[in-house]
Formats: sequence, C-alpha cells, structure tokens
Amino acid sequence: MSILAYNGGAVVAMKGQDCVAIATDKRYGIQAQTVSANFPKVFQMGPTLYVGLPGLATDTQTVFQRLKFRMNLYELKENRMMKPKTFSAMLSNLLYERRFGPYFIEPVIAGLDPYTSEPYVCNMDLIGCPNEPEDFVVSGTCSEQLYGMCEALWEPNLKPDELFETISQALVNAADRDAISGWGAVVYIVEKDKITEKHVKTRMD
Amino acid sequence: MSNIQLQCLLGIQGKDFVMIAADQTNSHSIMVMKDDEEKIYKISNKLVMGVAGDSGDTTQFAEYIAKNIQLYKMRNSYELGPSAAANFTRRYLAEYLRSSTPYFVNVLMGGYDKENGPELYFMDYLASSVKVPFAAHGFGGFLSLSIMDRQYKKDLTEEEAYDILKLCVQEVHRRLFVSLPNFQVTIVNNDGVRTLPVINSKSS
Amino acid sequence: MASVLVPELPIPGFSFENCQRNAFLEHKGFPAPKATKTGTTIVGIIYADGVILGADTRATENTVVSDKNCEKIHYLAANMYCCGAGTAADTEMTTQSVSSQLELQRLHTGRVVPVETASTLLKRMLFRYQGHIGAALVLGGVDRTGPHIYCIYPHGSVDKLPYATMGSGSLAAMAVFESRWKPNMSEEEGKQLVRDAIAAGIFNDLGSGSNVDLCVIRSSGPAQYLRTYEEANVKGKKQGSYRYALGTTAVLKTKVIPLEVESVSVHQVQPMEVEPSC
Repeated sequence: MSILAYNGGAVVAMKGQDCVAIATDKRYGIQAQTVSANFPKVFQMGPTLYVGLPGLATDTQTVFQRLKFRMNLYELKENRMMKPKTFSAMLSNLLYERRFGPYFIEPVIAGLDPYTSEPYVCNMDLIGCPNEPEDFVVSGTCSEQLYGMCEALWEPNLKPDELFETISQALVNAADRDAISGWGAVVYIVEKDKITEKHVKTRMD
Repeated sequence: MSNIQLQCLLGIQGKDFVMIAADQTNSHSIMVMKDDEEKIYKISNKLVMGVAGDSGDTTQFAEYIAKNIQLYKMRNSYELGPSAAANFTRRYLAEYLRSSTPYFVNVLMGGYDKENGPELYFMDYLASSVKVPFAAHGFGGFLSLSIMDRQYKKDLTEEEAYDILKLCVQEVHRRLFVSLPNFQVTIVNNDGVRTLPVINSKSS
Repeated sequence: MASVLVPELPIPGFSFENCQRNAFLEHKGFPAPKATKTGTTIVGIIYADGVILGADTRATENTVVSDKNCEKIHYLAANMYCCGAGTAADTEMTTQSVSSQLELQRLHTGRVVPVETASTLLKRMLFRYQGHIGAALVLGGVDRTGPHIYCIYPHGSVDKLPYATMGSGSLAAMAVFESRWKPNMSEEEGKQLVRDAIAAGIFNDLGSGSNVDLCVIRSSGPAQYLRTYEEANVKGKKQGSYRYALGTTAVLKTKVIPLEVESVSVHQVQPMEVEPSC
C-alpha cells in the first residue's frame, strides 16, 4: 500500500466563470480505522487563495505550517498579497528541495489573482511538478474516480452556483467509490467579492 | 517488534471535562512484566497525556514534554493551553521522526482551558494531530471506537463518560486476544486533574 | 546569532531531512510513491536557418494522463530552448536552474551565451547526481558558431547530433527522421518533418499524446515558440450536458464570507533597464 493512502482523503478544484471552487472530504483515518470526520485538508492562505494538501496527514500539517510561515514572511517583507502563481512557485520549490526525501502530499491550489481576479487552479506531484490546466485539478486517494467525474461533468464558463453543484457531485460520487475518503465534505466557492463555504451532506460509511 | 498496537488508550471529552483511560500492562515480547504501570502523565495543572509505545520512549517523551511546558510557564508566567500544548507536542514528535532516534509513541492529550473548555487531541507516532470528541489507540480501539460512537453524546456527565469507558474495557476483556486487566482513568476539568478508580474485572 | 528579524540563511541545495523517516516507512511496508513521469516524444532538428524543436503535450502518472496539455519545451535563453522527458519535476527544475545561470552568464559577459555552455551546465548537473535526477533532454539553439542540437541523458552523457529524438516515443519519431531528414531543409519542410515525427510518437506511443508544440529558433532573428502548433487530437463535442440541476447537493451548513476592498492603490513600475538578450 502506498504511504499516500495511509490516512486517506481527496481534494478537487475547478475553474468557473470569474470564480474558482475547491472541495475536500473530511475524513481522517489510520488505514481502515476512521478516527475523525472533521479533518478538512483545505486551508485558506489568503483572502482569495486556498491550498489543499491531501496525502499523509502528518505532512499535511507540517507543510501547511511551513507554507504559512513562508507566506507570512513574504507578506511582511513585500507588504502586498501573494498571487496564486507566486504561491505555487513557492510550494513547488519547497517540495522540490526535498526531491530525494519528499513530503508525502500532492497539493492542489485554487484562487483568484488578488489584482486581476483571474481564476487559477494548479496541482502538483509530491516533488513539486506544477500542472496548470484550463479546467480542473484533482488529488488524493480517489483521484482516478475524480478524473472520471470531472471529465464528464465539467463545462466551461460555469456560474458560481452551477460550479458548486458540479464540484460537489464530482467529489461526493468519487468518494463514494473510495473506502478511505468521504465522511463529510466542504466546498469553497471563491468569487471576487465573497467566499461561500458549504458543508455538504455525504454518506457516512 | 513493537507492542504499540497491543496497548490501549481511550479518551472522551464531555461537557466540561476530558477523561482519559489507559491500560496498565507493560509487556516485553510475549511476556507481561507489570500490570500496574502508569501511562497517563500529568503535564500541567489542567493537562494530561496518555502515552502508549515503546517502554523507554514513552517515559522519556512524556517527561520531556511535561518539563518543557512547565519551563514555558515559568518563563512567560502563563500556561500553554491544550491546543498550544498539542501543537508543541506534535512539532517535537515530527522533528524527532526525522532523526535517527524517532519516538515510537501514540498519544492522547486532554486538557481544560477557560476559553475553549475541554479539548481532546489524538496524535499518532507519525505526528499527525487532530482534535476529536472521543478517540482510542491500539487494537483495543477497534473494539472501543464503535461503542464510543454509539454511546457518545454532547454534554456527557462524568458518570456517563466513566460508564462508557467501562463498557469499552469490558469489551476489550471479552474480545481482545491480549490481556489488559487494569485500566487507570484520569479526569481533567476546571478544578484540575483527578484520578478515578481503576477499571478492571472487579468493577461492576 | 539568528533571530526572528535576522533569520539564518537557509542552506542551499537539496534537503535530506525526510530521508531517514521515509526509509523507516519503507521498511514498515509503505514504499515512497512515484513522481509524475512524462512518457514523451521530444525531438529536435537542424535545418537551413537554425533549429526546430518539437514535443507532445501529455504527462502521465503510471497509466493515468495527469496533464493533457503540458509544456515540455522549456525556455533557457532567447537563443536556446530545451525539451524535457523523464521525471516531470526534474526536467522543469533543472531547466529553470540552468536558465537562470545562463542569464547571469549573459549579464556577466555581455554576449550571447553559446549553446555549448548550456549543454555543459546541464551535463555537469546531471552527472553530479548520477542519474538520480531523471531528466532526458533535447537542447537546441543557435549562436555565432551556428545551429546546434544536443541530446543529454540522465546520467550526464551528451550527443551532439544534426537530428535527435528522446523519450518513450523516440523510436517512432526517429523512424520518421531516418527516412526523411536531409541537410539544409527549408523552414516549411523542417516544420512539417518535426510535426510528423511528433505525430508518429503521439499515435504510436501510449506515453505520448494530445498536441504538437514546436519551437523554431532561427539564426536570423528571434525564436518563435509555436504552442499548440497542431491539435492532433480534438476532443469530441459533448452531445448532451450532464449538468446537475441546482439544489441537487444536500447542504448541511453555509457560511458566506464577504470580501471588502479596503483600499486600492496603483503603483506604476518603471521597467528596469537591461540590455536585450539577443
């Protein structure tokens, strides 16, 4: 079994029309034993910037803390907000620095540029190779199911409420076919003027 | 081979307290050395930690954490709250995990804080920490978690929580292939840390 | 002494802090997962007036296509580009690092950096890491000595060739070159040949797919990056929509966080004066 599937979990992010969405499941387990159903793997890094860190939970926490530290230093030094693209470069370098002893996470980044409000999504492998597509990114133990769901459901120019339905159904149905993901989900819809956080009802088995 | 999974830690957070139970067996390989070992450590006035793992590691780890939290209190004249203490412990565990001498310990940390009330933290030896209403470590956890999941409700009283722990221990006695006769129980609330009677086959 | 205000400078280079732990986890039966590899077709040729590089745009993780339109032709300098195959992160980071070294070299010497320099920097880097950095590269560029194509292997060996292919689709692409490449081809002929070589990889190698990217670097004039030169595989149009009706998803709890713009200030930035690179 891969160490990436030790704790379980899934994250997906999608672009919409002038908005992005990022969704995560809430399970934390140790292999087959579920320990908590309140362990989201998505963190807010800026007003319109989110990062999801599915993988080995200890590294989820360690990398989040390191990122927060680096980001705070950047914002203190530069006195401006970090763009999503800059953030992914920072994370990519943090991960690639450990090329020969990696953190076991496969991150997902979603956000709006703080200056142009351009939607941005990106995912990486565990040593920080960035992938910035035009549609959606997935990561976690049910990434294969998520690829299938997203490939079928996603359409260009979805409005925020349509994007919410699309991303929620993609995550919920993908996680239903994965024993170690699910147990609740959170969806964040990021728009220029507001963020909507929705807790989605899922199967609890 | 480690016996970390053969040991059992249980924890429940109630209305205004946290209760932690730990088995008292110290075993090496296939032999039981002791059945009145203390595995719950008092860290500070309103903070306790249940530690299961390799026998040298547990004491060393618990004492290091306890002394450093005491040191923090002396330096800053205020105490670390439960969440701060859990973060400190996680960080230390994570740092040592990357050294040549990692600590092989599972931890439950329970504490009481004026602002946030009672808090229970679950931490495994890989240093992932999560706040939970109830938790269990070890093979005993496979049997106990379902009981706690069924019996748990918000605003549990001390008596109710103690009864749930008793049910869990009874199940461990009935179904677990390892002998864990005695479970010590410790409670933390606004008044501090208190020891409750040991749960064993004699407790009704 | 280090403090919060004056932090210690981080040690440059790779960090091995997780290695012991990861070896321990591997010992417990949790092997480290594999990074994204690009099963790839990348090629480069010399033609009458420079070089043409080509690449497909598929990235894979085992058999899953992880990126359908990735960029495998990396910028090194204005007069040279580099195609990458192998571990995706390695090709990305190695070319980024060499690109910045080349720019520093250009600013230091005030001259167009020769392609040979890039080839040397790349092979030194790869040889130093003894093949553990899994980057297989096709480097192409022009300088005062003419057009050059280099093939650089993960262990640090280098071939200097008039036409080269790399990656899992290299056999299919090489077959095209062997039958049709000749010296002093015109630009149109060259582009067609490179397109056909990449297409051979896309259609005959499972690790390669999606589109054709080209990059033409002329001895006379600037490089031309032709991103998505040809969309070799157009996705079929969806006949129906699988869109879920609004309200399908059961929501337990909603929280709306309004974002208020506190102040807007626009800073005009004067472009820094740097001599152009070519």
